[in-house]
Amino acid sequence: MAAGALLAIVAAAAALSAWEGSLWRDQPSAHWSVAACIAGTAALALLAGHGRQRMTSVEWLAEAWRSGTDPARRRSTYGRGVTVWAILVAAAIAWDLTSFAAQVHDLPTLSYFAGHVTAHHWGRSLVFAAWLALGAYLALAWRTAGRARRPGCR
Amino acid sequence: MVGLVVGSALWAVLALIGTAWLVVTIVAGPRRLPGPVDVVRWFLTCWLGRALALAAWAGAGWHLFCQRP
Repeated sequence: MAAGALLAIVAAAAALSAWEGSLWRDQPSAHWSVAACIAGTAALALLAGHGRQRMTSVEWLAEAWRSGTDPARRRSTYGRGVTVWAILVAAAIAWDLTSFAAQVHDLPTLSYFAGHVTAHHWGRSLVFAAWLALGAYLALAWRTAGRARRPGCR
Repeated sequence: MVGLVVGSALWAVLALIGTAWLVVTIVAGPRRLPGPVDVVRWFLTCWLGRALALAAWAGAGWHLFCQRP
């Protein structure tokens, strides 16, 4: 991509983030703008990714199953590293759900902390910019270079 | 103010463990231990994983910017 086009996209995303920061969660403009970003990112993922996935979903599931059921792979250093990440993520989700279910002041949820940041104009803008960047990464990253390089990849 | 209530203390412990593990994965290198980018990339390998990741991203965004203050 040309540097000029990339710069224009970054500037547009920064302007959108700054505008989004001025909105409040209950405003209709906040709702349609977030919905438009989600729809746009999904469309981008479909357009940019047709025929450029590294694996089919069936292959991915089969590989995950093999990794989970093969004792040698589970006991490897890399396998144990994956297990630690899985435990950390599961612990965070479980604690967040526990705190949400309890609905008491002593058990704040993750979104309670996030709310303290997004309550400010600058905080909402920065978090929105980070969210947009993550969405672009999820939509575009980790593709194969050419189209349908492996048979069956769509 | 959030204050140091029981829940906040547990979040702090989880954040500390997560940060420590992140440092360990960086020091060890991506070939020995997977980092957060490797975990995300694993989801992006196929359409199903990418769709799951994008759905989580969309849900988080809607919750953060349209439901929470």
